[in-house]
Amino acid sequence: MRNGGENRGRLLVVILIVSALFLITLDLRGVSVISGLRSGTHTALAPFQRAGSVIILPVKNFVNDVTHLGRTHSQIDDLRKQNQKLREELISRKNQDGQIAQLKSILDLAGKATFKVVNAKVISQGSSLAFTRTITIDAGTSNGIKKNMTVISGYGLVGVVKEVFANSALVMLATDPSFKVGVRIAGSQQIGILAGLGSINANLQLLDNQTTIKVGDILLARGSINNQPFVPGVPVGRVTSVSNAAGAVTQSASVRYFTNFGALGVVSVVVQAPSADPRDSLVPAKPVPTPVPTVTIFVTPTPSPSPTTN
Amino acid sequence: MLIRRFSITSAIFLIVFILQEAFVNQLNLPAGGFSIFLILTLLWSALSTPVVAAAVGFGAGILLDLSPSTDGPLGHWTLILVLLSYGISFFSYGDENMRGNPLSLIFMVVMAQFFALIFYVSSGFLLGVSATGFVQTMVTLIGSSIWALVITPLLLPAVVWLHDLAFDSRLHI
Repeated sequence: MRNGGENRGRLLVVILIVSALFLITLDLRGVSVISGLRSGTHTALAPFQRAGSVIILPVKNFVNDVTHLGRTHSQIDDLRKQNQKLREELISRKNQDGQIAQLKSILDLAGKATFKVVNAKVISQGSSLAFTRTITIDAGTSNGIKKNMTVISGYGLVGVVKEVFANSALVMLATDPSFKVGVRIAGSQQIGILAGLGSINANLQLLDNQTTIKVGDILLARGSINNQPFVPGVPVGRVTSVSNAAGAVTQSASVRYFTNFGALGVVSVVVQAPSADPRDSLVPAKPVPTPVPTVTIFVTPTPSPSPTTN
Repeated sequence: MLIRRFSITSAIFLIVFILQEAFVNQLNLPAGGFSIFLILTLLWSALSTPVVAAAVGFGAGILLDLSPSTDGPLGHWTLILVLLSYGISFFSYGDENMRGNPLSLIFMVVMAQFFALIFYVSSGFLLGVSATGFVQTMVTLIGSSIWALVITPLLLPAVVWLHDLAFDSRLHI
C-alpha cells in the first residue's frame, strides 16, 4: 500500500517535470497562448506595481543613497553644499516637482531634436535576480508604443522597448549586458559599438583602429534603419578612459552613461524620429564655470600722531 | 480538506508574489537583493511532504515564470523549482532533527536558493537567456545568499504558522 502511494507520488513528480519541459518547448516555439499569459500577468500586476512605486519611493531613495555612498563620496560633498543653498530656496520640494523637472529636461531634449515622444512614468524596476536590467513603464500599445522604440531621459539614452503590453511596456536598459548600440563620436564622427556591462559604465569598441579617441569625448547614437531600435543623435555617454593595447585589432574605451539609471522617474519613448538627422545638436553643453569676484581691499595706514612743538 | 489546503496555500503564494513584484523588486537592493517568494517556496517545501513540495514548486515556478521581471521561457523556473522543492523536502521530511531545528532549515533554504540561482543561470545559458558577466553573476549569487541568510530567519516563524494553518499540523520549531 505504502509502495503504491510512493509510486503515485513519483509519477506526479515525473508528470510535473514533463509539464515544465513541455511549457519550455511551447514557449521556445513561440506559441501565442504563452505570450498571452505573460501579457495578462503583466496587465494584472501593473496597478500593484504602480501603487508599490508610490509607496516604496522613500525607502527606495534611502537604499539608493546608501548603496552609492562609497562610490560618490566626493559628489556627496559637492551636492551637500548645493543642497544647503537649494534648501533655502526650495523648502518643501516634493516628489512631483522632481518628476516635472525630469519631464522638462526630456521635453527639452526631444524638442531640440524634433522627436515625437510619449512620456511615461517608471512603475517598476526588474529584479536583478533575473540577471537582466529592465524597467516597466506605464505606457503601452494604447499610447502608440511599439516594440524596439528608443527610450530617452533628459540626459540621453535610457534603453529600448523590449516587450509592449496594453498599458505598460518593458524597457531593456542600456546597462543590460546584452545591450548593444551603434555610436559615433561627436565632432570627429568616428563610429563604434557600445556594449552594456551591467553597471553605469559601458565598453566602446571603435571600428577603425586609426581613430583617435580621448577622455571626455561625447558619444551619440548613430541611428538604425527606419529609426528602430535607435533614433540618431541621442546623447549616450562620455569617454572616461581609453585602452591603447599594443597590437589590438580595435581600439576600446570605457564610457560612462549620461543617464542616472538609479533615479529614473519619468522617461520618454520616441514614437517618431525627425526626417533629418539632428547630427551633433544634442551634445550636452559643457558646464560654464561661475566667475568668483575677487575683492581687493587697499588699506592706507593712518599717520601716527606726531608730538607737537611749541 | 484538500480544497481548503489548496485555497489557503494558493492565496498565500499569490499575496507574497504580488508583494514581491510590487514592493521588494522595486527596492533595487544591492547585490541582487532577495526574493521573499523564493524563500517562501523553499521553506514551504521543506515543511511539506515531497509530493506536496513538488506541486508547490510547480505552482510557484509558474508564477515566477509569469513575472514581468523574468527573462527566461515559461517553464524555466517551474522545472527548477519542481526539482529543488522535491529535493529539499526529500531530505528534510521525516527527519525531525532537520525539520525541528530552525538553523538546519535556514541553512537548507539558503543552500537551496543558491543552487536554484546556479541552475537558473546554467540552464538559462543553454536556453539562450542573456546573462551578466561572470563577476556580476557571482556577486548576485553570493549577495542573494547573504540576503537569504538575513531574511529567512525573519520569515521562518510566519511561514511555519501559515503552514500549520493550511495543513492543520503542529510543528514546533
